[in-house]
Amino acid sequence: MVVWKDLLVERRSKETLNALFFFSLLLLFVFQFTLGPDRERLAAVLPGLLWLGFILSGLLGLGRTFQVERENDCWEGLLLAPGDKSAIFVGKLAGNLVLMLVVEAVLVAMFVVFFNVDVGGTWAALALVIVLGTVGFAAVGTLFAAMTAQVRARELLFPVLLLPVQVPVLLATVKATEAVLLGEPLGAVANWLQLLGAADLIYVVVGVLTFEFVLEG
Amino acid sequence: MPDHWGFVVSAYGLAAVGLFAYWRRLVRQERELDRK
Amino acid sequence: MTRVLGWLALLGLLAGLAAGFVVAPREVTQGNVQRIMYVHVPSVLVAYLAFAVVFVASIAYLARRLEAADRVAHASAEIGVLFNGITIVTGSIWGKPTWGTWWTWDARLTSVAILFVMYLGYLLLRGMIEDRERGARYAAVLGIVAALNIPLVHFSVLWWRTLHQPPSLLKAGPPTMSSAIVVPLLVNLAAYALLYAYFLAKRVRILRKEQEALA
Repeated sequence: MVVWKDLLVERRSKETLNALFFFSLLLLFVFQFTLGPDRERLAAVLPGLLWLGFILSGLLGLGRTFQVERENDCWEGLLLAPGDKSAIFVGKLAGNLVLMLVVEAVLVAMFVVFFNVDVGGTWAALALVIVLGTVGFAAVGTLFAAMTAQVRARELLFPVLLLPVQVPVLLATVKATEAVLLGEPLGAVANWLQLLGAADLIYVVVGVLTFEFVLEG
Repeated sequence: MPDHWGFVVSAYGLAAVGLFAYWRRLVRQERELDRK
Repeated sequence: MTRVLGWLALLGLLAGLAAGFVVAPREVTQGNVQRIMYVHVPSVLVAYLAFAVVFVASIAYLARRLEAADRVAHASAEIGVLFNGITIVTGSIWGKPTWGTWWTWDARLTSVAILFVMYLGYLLLRGMIEDRERGARYAAVLGIVAALNIPLVHFSVLWWRTLHQPPSLLKAGPPTMSSAIVVPLLVNLAAYALLYAYFLAKRVRILRKEQEALA
């Protein structure tokens, strides 16, 4: 229910999506201007750049997860909603996931076009890695977004809390993306995929279990 | 390899300073609270 | 009781100093600079202990709403960050003469740095929420997430550094563990643990008195 509500809200206020697309485009230009001339270095840092783009867009998008509730004073609505608070978490998480994956897909497409990346036969493996990484990012991000929604310096505290926690996921996804783009089989990065799987599981479970404590009072 | 006693002293020294400073802060905080 | 802890800790620290400089031998490869290990390693272990306590206390608070658990979590996080900072500083100073650089993104230093930033964020969160009850709840959630993240940090950084990474100049880790080295290490570890307990007791008491004053 919450997912549909959020998706509808997003569709009606396309501003977030549009802003994120535009932001990603800008990032692309910045990457090109700073690294473009050196093709080799660009190819080497490509996975890192891609995830940097994902993360920066993610921070913007995730940070606003509870903006609507905050601005319109619907916070009580969330608190008084019947049923499991964790359902709200799952709903918000799903909404954030969809948002992030859409932006990431567009970003990957732009990378392929502008940086002439050959994704070719590896796109399925790439998709898997991206999904695994995004779930981890979105899970903690949704939880922390709720926690920082009503804090004074929200825009500052949210990334400050989220980024250190996300380091393992970031390391794993960049390394896995690197290998996948080089054409290596998924088996070669099995350990990274396992780490991502474990991280995703932990983050989602903790989010589900602790969300009620974040939403109280 | 030379002994680098300077580094040893700095390391122990900084650690000691940090711990001592924190201890002093705790003592001061408690004293202030007891006074109230 | 706290007094006793304090004196014991002081005694332990002095004993540790003696052990680290008198009992422990001059290391073969690195020379006497290796003695920094007797500060560096106990510090990081006590930091881990402190963060483990934060984890347990956070769960206890959410499960039972024990105010004392909240105070313990807060205090332990603070002290953990302190020892974590000492770990980083002493590690860096140790690294300069042995590795030739103040900082390197090796597995251990990187992990410890990430932990430092995570729990610093914890303290920041606490500082920025005015409502005490909400602050306690949110901090508890963060305390749980951060602690569960520690093994993930450990393995991700380890694999990042050891797969396809060239070895560093000198392996500045604990050398082969003869008892002349293990004993001073344990003595210092015990001393630092006592110091942690002493700091914890005092800090928790201060927090309690602060809250009573506001009530």
